Amino acid sequence: MLRRAKYLAQTGGVALLLVTVATPVRGAGFGIFEHGAKAMGMAGAFTAQADDGSALFHNVGGLGFLEEKEFTVGTTLIYAVDSSFEGLEPFPGTAASGELESSVFYPTHVYYVQPIGEDLNFGFGFNSPFGLATEWKDPAQWSGRYISAEAQLHAFDLNPSLGWRVTDKLSLGIGAVIRFSTVELDRYVPAVNPFTQGVIDAATVNLKSDFDEGFGWNVGILHRPWDRFSWGLSYRSKVKIDYAGDAEFTQLPTGNAALDAIIAGTLPFGAKLPVETAIDFPALASFGVAVGLSEKALVEVDVNWTSWGDFEELEILFIENPELSSVIPENYDDCFNYRIGLRLDVGANQWRFGYVFDETPQPEGSTGPLLPDADRHGFTVGFGWRDRFDIAFMYLLFDERTTTTNYDNFFGTYDTTAWLLGATLKF
Amino acid sequence: MRINHCNGSRIVLVLLAGLLAAAVASAQTTGNADFSRYVAVGDSLGAGFMSGSLVGDVQQVSYPALLSTQVHGTSGGFEQPLVSAPGIPGALQLVSLSPLIIAPAAGMGLPINIALPRPYDNLSVPGADLRDVLETVTDFGGLHDLILRGLGTQLQQALMLQPTFATFWVNNDALGAAISGVVIEDVTLTSLDNFETRYRTITDTLAAAGAQMALATIPDVTTIPYVTTLPPVVLNPATNEPVLVNGNYVPLVGPDGPLVLGQDFVLLSASAEMAVGKGIPVELGGSGEPLSDFAVLNGSEVAAITARIAGFNQVIRAVAGERGAALVDINAFFAGIAAHGLNVGGVEFTADLLTGGLFSYDGIHPTPFGYAIVANEFIRAINRSYGADIPLVSYHDYVYGPLASLGTGFPVGSSFVFTPKAAKQLSFALGIPDRKTLNRIKKRRATVD
Repeated sequence: MLRRAKYLAQTGGVALLLVTVATPVRGAGFGIFEHGAKAMGMAGAFTAQADDGSALFHNVGGLGFLEEKEFTVGTTLIYAVDSSFEGLEPFPGTAASGELESSVFYPTHVYYVQPIGEDLNFGFGFNSPFGLATEWKDPAQWSGRYISAEAQLHAFDLNPSLGWRVTDKLSLGIGAVIRFSTVELDRYVPAVNPFTQGVIDAATVNLKSDFDEGFGWNVGILHRPWDRFSWGLSYRSKVKIDYAGDAEFTQLPTGNAALDAIIAGTLPFGAKLPVETAIDFPALASFGVAVGLSEKALVEVDVNWTSWGDFEELEILFIENPELSSVIPENYDDCFNYRIGLRLDVGANQWRFGYVFDETPQPEGSTGPLLPDADRHGFTVGFGWRDRFDIAFMYLLFDERTTTTNYDNFFGTYDTTAWLLGATLKF
Repeated sequence: MRINHCNGSRIVLVLLAGLLAAAVASAQTTGNADFSRYVAVGDSLGAGFMSGSLVGDVQQVSYPALLSTQVHGTSGGFEQPLVSAPGIPGALQLVSLSPLIIAPAAGMGLPINIALPRPYDNLSVPGADLRDVLETVTDFGGLHDLILRGLGTQLQQALMLQPTFATFWVNNDALGAAISGVVIEDVTLTSLDNFETRYRTITDTLAAAGAQMALATIPDVTTIPYVTTLPPVVLNPATNEPVLVNGNYVPLVGPDGPLVLGQDFVLLSASAEMAVGKGIPVELGGSGEPLSDFAVLNGSEVAAITARIAGFNQVIRAVAGERGAALVDINAFFAGIAAHGLNVGGVEFTADLLTGGLFSYDGIHPTPFGYAIVANEFIRAINRSYGADIPLVSYHDYVYGPLASLGTGFPVGSSFVFTPKAAKQLSFALGIPDRKTLNRIKKRRATVD
């Protein structure tokens, strides 16, 4: 069968959302853990402290211990300094390389805390716990353009919460999560030119979703049994979002009129095609222990567990053109992060230092242009001025990630370095 | 002078160090395999045959040539029976896309390496089956003469080179049946006993001469576009889409009646018969005559060939195991491609004619990129079996660049035709008897039975 209908068809629908998974600066997968400069200064080892508005993310148990009404606003500037790709044989080969456009991501956080009883606090949080932006430079020449040229994911959480101070030493919290998210993907569509048997770019495809929502919840415990010792446990549930959106194919001229005519007949160019997909955002569990080394010094150690194993594949459904649908295998694994932070009081101010080791949930098979993830090391330093203004800096060093088992047979090494700057102001 | 003397020793030391490093380096690359004298024994696939022709540009990327280059780091020294453009016979070209016409180029190429004073390193002869490897010295002006040049059989010439390593892959014991469309025992489809006896004789002889080996299995005929491209239903010549009558496909008429979708196969050579109305019912504008037996592989023929190939491959696997040779499972590899394509960097390569990127215009032999991936299968198997680290062939230039465009077409202005001349030339080049001869043999066999 000459299979004209299938000619080029498999190329549609690729990893549109796949792309959403990894920015160069994400943490394990496409999660973002920086939602308050105070916690960030300690590399996020904050579950056992959770003593500011960002408790709404780190450990809602801490909400119960907060004393007064507060309104906190901040942002984290995420900047990828260097994000490159070097190819390996047999494809795309050692002569191929690529670089991501430097992107500046600035997820914002807003926290509002209002006491509503003697032992009860209400909190409302807004932040971006997941995000992604990978845009390859010179996309028309980028050797991975058939897998992904550009991908974006944005996610925002609204998190109304309640904190209950059970005793002077124990506080519990609970919250509801409403997540809004959008994804967009651009890539090129290849075809074999029958006259030359070489591969040519036949079209580009853009996939874009609406702002769709999902729901979840979170709980937390913060226990301060003794002076200078506390521990905390926090759990943020997974959230599933079903996305609806449109895809559009744009034909690229090949220079051969007969070939152009055939290509024009095989893909629905110029039309907005309805697409659907879904992402299972993972659950996040955190456990931390904080110990006061002295009156002025405190150290905390945290372990986080993320249920990335839920993220097995990405299915892109073309509702009216099922032959264009595809399933992209991801096969992520659950993973752990390990954090340690140190806090030093100097007068009315605080200095903070921290280190985090982030495991990547991504197996080598799915390490590719959409999501080149790797294990990473974060080094932080932060400063808090009078419990009103916090600033933190993180240097993020990714391990080099080489894949020779990529599911798309796209082999090479990815290397990223990034830094983050967080600032939070309490009113 | 003293200074010169010191420099002299230093130079010798440097040279020795360099040689040692090179020797160590190549030992590291080939593991336990000795590639100091590599010989290829095979058929059209080993020769770098493409689009019905043997032509130098493609011979340079035959899998033996690529394997040698990856081992030695250079293509120099690996001698092949190169032919100038447009090849012998003239290579098939894509004359136009709509209408879809595949026809041979005019003219013929010339052998340009004929004076080599020793056997070629690549002794693969298009059309050779195991019997040819053992017995054929001349084919009276055909491709055997071009490559063997009267110096002896393929096997004898391989031994003359005192090989340390040999690749051995021959498909024509089954391929003849697939291309001619008829199954005639020991003419187009070799019997299992004969295959095994001959296969073991060849491998025993090579092993006795001290050669390590890589042995490849034979792909199934339903994985090549020569067999799978044309559907067994009537197509509208203007659009190449199936004709529907009351919402149903209209089966083509084969030698035994209407063909069955999913069971019977129509070969590329049938398009010339369909162009004069054969196989197409009178109501749809056809002549009412059925397609010939040569143009169709019906279900029982396919079953017979498939079963026989499975038997052949069992022999090959057994011998590879007994000899500790590398086993290159091309059967499994082509089956995988036929089933779900080959994804290379987001490009979905398939076994489709013209648009798949892996098979050339004759529907049987690979494109240069196809040869590159076959070469990598050999390299992977050799690396596994011999603990070697031979680098894989790089695909980039095959996918995009200069190596991709080794076949050019020119626009002209009717339906899909694989011209009769193309079919005849292909059969001749692959040593398949013509239809008259095959008919004669069939009749003789029928009266004997």
